[in-house]
Amino acid sequence: MEEVLNNLEISIDRASCFKGNNMIFENISYSVKNSEMMLIMGPNGCGKTTFIKSICGIQKLESGSIKLNSIDINSDSSEHLNNILYIGHKNSLNNDLTVFENLEYLCAFDKSVDSIPEQEIKKSLEYFGIAKFKDYLVSKISEGNKKKTSLARLLLSKKKIWLLDEPLSFIDSEGNVKILDLFNKHITNGGLIILSSHIDISKDVTNTKKYYMGNS
Amino acid sequence: MLRKIIYKEFKSYFRNLNSIFLPLIFFFLIISIFPLLIGPDKNLLNKIIPGIVWITVIFTTLLSSSNFFKDEYNNGFIETYLTSETSLELILFLKIILCWIFTCLPIIFFIPIVSIFFDIPLKNSFVILFTLIIGSPILVSIGIFGSSLTLGIPKNNVLVPVITLPFYIPILIFSASAIESVSSGLPYEMQLYILTALLCFVLPIMPYLLKYTLTLSINN
Repeated sequence: MEEVLNNLEISIDRASCFKGNNMIFENISYSVKNSEMMLIMGPNGCGKTTFIKSICGIQKLESGSIKLNSIDINSDSSEHLNNILYIGHKNSLNNDLTVFENLEYLCAFDKSVDSIPEQEIKKSLEYFGIAKFKDYLVSKISEGNKKKTSLARLLLSKKKIWLLDEPLSFIDSEGNVKILDLFNKHITNGGLIILSSHIDISKDVTNTKKYYMGNS
Repeated sequence: MLRKIIYKEFKSYFRNLNSIFLPLIFFFLIISIFPLLIGPDKNLLNKIIPGIVWITVIFTTLLSSSNFFKDEYNNGFIETYLTSETSLELILFLKIILCWIFTCLPIIFFIPIVSIFFDIPLKNSFVILFTLIIGSPILVSIGIFGSSLTLGIPKNNVLVPVITLPFYIPILIFSASAIESVSSGLPYEMQLYILTALLCFVLPIMPYLLKYTLTLSINN
């Protein structure tokens, strides 16, 4: 087990991404340290999702680089993957499994989670107020509850870097407050968050850096 | 961790019972329709039944593997696979094996019964069984590879068979010739060895190929 880094810095240097001949984003330079949140805003289709995927290392860049602690994320991907928790806007929940089984399964992919996190899963579901849906099939619950289920991973994982794609869509106002609380806690504990959102939450979370992506 | 993955795959297969029964029902439909159409000529049936068994296996593997990654692509699980620090190759290998267990193994179990139905000699039915046990994992892994290649393309149902069938042909040739040889009393071991060699070649490299194609599908 590798130790979790205490000082984290993600620096993005003139990153550009093309899909086929279409330019998705170009020349993004930015850097985020721990105890900071990068809030990516912008109109639909401006490449927020692709940008977050490229910080995960699963989207190849056309030019430029993304570095974690001055090491290129593609050259040492295992080190990078040990630190990041990516939750996409598709919830990565299996429709044939229950809420509880899904979280259990997702925890199997996360080495920072203890071996049998049964109690923690229950606690995290209670935090979001969806404990009563524990044994429901995911195909039977509402979109918002699916989102909350996938975000319950934030409470289970001990990883330092959160990469979240539209975590606040479909969520009710009560859930919003809880999620923002979670962000604040993570920031004060020295975590790093990069998230995309259509809601300006920069005032609600401490140390937020806003980044606007224009339509290309 | 591996236990969890196997447990989950089993659970989702058993919640979708039709994914297990579809190959079996398909198999029995075809097997029972052929004698009805051709007539009860024992010698003729004896000759064509091995081929029919292979045809059904090909179509069931195509049916079950052409949409193999579709759900996981649509619900974003492939991103989770790629961003998790666990070995993706191992997971993919497990998924190939489990897909084989749930699509081909039920058919293989029923081969002895089919042999009794059609009065196939014991030695011949053993050879059919062996060619299926060795050949069907190759078919499944090639089918899954085809499905991973076409992930980014919407409405790809036609494309997967077109891509994968040419790769099926060597396996079909060698299994057909093994069955042919045993029914005419010739040695059949060589064909089985070649099939085993193909299996030993395809199965280990397939997880690596799949990882690469899955990364491509996310990039496009």
